[in-house]
Amino acid sequence: MKPAPKPARRAAAGMSIAAMSITGMSILALLLVAACQKQESAQGGAATAGASAQNAPAAGGGTLNLYNWNDYIDDQTVKRFEQQFNAKVVQTFYSDNDEMLAKLAAGATGYDVVVPTGNAVEAMIRRGDLQPLDHAVLSNIGNIRPQFASLPYDPQHQYAVPYAYTVTVIGYNDAALRKASFPPPTGWEAIFDPAIACKLKGRITVLDSPDEIFAAAFYYLGIDPNTTSADDYKKAAATITKAKSCWAAFNSASYSKEMAAGNIWMALGYSNDFFLGNRDAQAAKQDFHIVSVLPQQGATLAVDNMVILKSAPNPKLANAFVNFMMDGRNSADLSNLIGSGAAYKTALDFIKPEVKSNQAVFPPEDRMSSFHVLRLLPPEIRQERSRLWTEIKL
Amino acid sequence: MGGRRVPAWMWIASAIAFLFLYLPLVVVVLFSFNDSRLNATWVGFTTSWYGKLFGDERMLAAAWNSLLIAVVASLASTVLGTMAGFALSRGRPRILGFLVFAPIAMPEILMGVALLMFYVLLNMTLGLVSITLSHIAFCVSYVAIVVRARLAGMDESLVEAARDCGASPPLAFRHVTLPLILPGIVAGALMAFTLSIDDFVITFFTAGATASTLPLQIYSMVKVAATPEVNAVSTLMLALTLLLITAAARVAPGILRINQ
Repeated sequence: MKPAPKPARRAAAGMSIAAMSITGMSILALLLVAACQKQESAQGGAATAGASAQNAPAAGGGTLNLYNWNDYIDDQTVKRFEQQFNAKVVQTFYSDNDEMLAKLAAGATGYDVVVPTGNAVEAMIRRGDLQPLDHAVLSNIGNIRPQFASLPYDPQHQYAVPYAYTVTVIGYNDAALRKASFPPPTGWEAIFDPAIACKLKGRITVLDSPDEIFAAAFYYLGIDPNTTSADDYKKAAATITKAKSCWAAFNSASYSKEMAAGNIWMALGYSNDFFLGNRDAQAAKQDFHIVSVLPQQGATLAVDNMVILKSAPNPKLANAFVNFMMDGRNSADLSNLIGSGAAYKTALDFIKPEVKSNQAVFPPEDRMSSFHVLRLLPPEIRQERSRLWTEIKL
Repeated sequence: MGGRRVPAWMWIASAIAFLFLYLPLVVVVLFSFNDSRLNATWVGFTTSWYGKLFGDERMLAAAWNSLLIAVVASLASTVLGTMAGFALSRGRPRILGFLVFAPIAMPEILMGVALLMFYVLLNMTLGLVSITLSHIAFCVSYVAIVVRARLAGMDESLVEAARDCGASPPLAFRHVTLPLILPGIVAGALMAFTLSIDDFVITFFTAGATASTLPLQIYSMVKVAATPEVNAVSTLMLALTLLLITAAARVAPGILRINQ
């Protein structure tokens, strides 16, 4: 096909490639230097800002790298911290615990404080990712509400203190249920008893999460949600399969929007999603409210925690930040922003009435015991559960 | 020219295909002007989401990072990829083909994790530089393929004729080879730019604690707080991409034609 190139041409080709590579490499080098300088000047700026603040509080100065969920801290809170400690807060975000764990496991560093959910804290402690919190700095530790003071994955707060919590509850559209003459739900039977749930056939969604659905089915059946018996899991799977025909979808991503739009009338979901869905519905001047209810049989509590990584570049500032967020006002800012629960006593004074009146998140004291924290499952049960979950989804 | 008659079913099939491709984009653009947080029902016209977007420092910083990375990565990978394309079209060394194509065939997540581990090994701080280098690493392959295809379709005898007429090799390259393969190079550069600006997986692993890009930012928002602000920024990105393609077509007409 192609004639064998003559020696002269071969050399010529070599030369042009050599010439090109020199140009190419120099352009590349220039561009990279430019990019580096840009970044360094940004970091340098932060460093000088910190250095000029020698007389700030002991832990002040420098940059705090916060690896957080998106929209999970109020901007005012950040500003207050930055002023008080003469520091800069840089946030990057993840949208899933597993995503964050995978990235850290691969060796990513540079983060000071991370906000993992309970189960993930357990995994991070086991992996040795975390450094102990400096209790000498954590003057606000006594502010933790008693129900959150000794959570099973780290009862002594050696590595973790609560950040905020959500509860997995039932949310419903009050006007639509009234019109369908469906009594307001009070317990999990509204989701799992086909005789009841099928009255709203096609108008119910549940979270696309085996953790949450199995736990809810266990509450309905009166079984301990942390059971490790394969038989219990089979019973729950049978219940879920029977109820499934009444549900419109397994949906974790858009159910709050669907409810705000009025397409879905009842859902098994997270309390703060229902809060945000209701806020959206009111903003869109819908003629209904989305109401959350804490089912009488109990519900799953998910606590997000603050932890400091072993590799944290600025552990002093990190401890100061953790203590700062345990302060009532700062903790309350977040509840007011997204309707999550606050785990700190003095926060309750700062939370707006429309948030605090949500009985599913801030239930009366005597119902606090209906919150349950899910533990990591032993591998063989996990496997059995995945198998059952696949069967359910098929 | 008359041309052959295209049967009706072909029109219908292509109409459906294009509808499927472009309708979602139309919806995204439309809802970026919707006066409601819900992406569900049309309430009224507003440009407030754009106002909000331009006041959102984090989003703007991420957009700026994305642009910077995409420009640097597409320029660098175009130069490197063009050289690789030349080497490939000459078929030496044999292993080169494998080396160039591997990043395309490899699952992105594998490449992301591998790059992250590599940077950690080098004790390199993750940030704009690490993201840019990673983007160059995978964009080079795409540019190389496009350029090689262009070179394969080029008539070698044109270069030989130039040489016979006394042109030095650099001169022949500048006046004959380069103009002939330019559409391929520009197409490769555009491809590299788009791949870089919307890459998520590799960026996710190689981004550090200080810098975020637009796709990372949007993805983390979708789960908790997706607002029409995301639509607004997507609309702007769409406009930018269209502008780029139009500009490229102006600068080098015929670029968007796949065959000569």
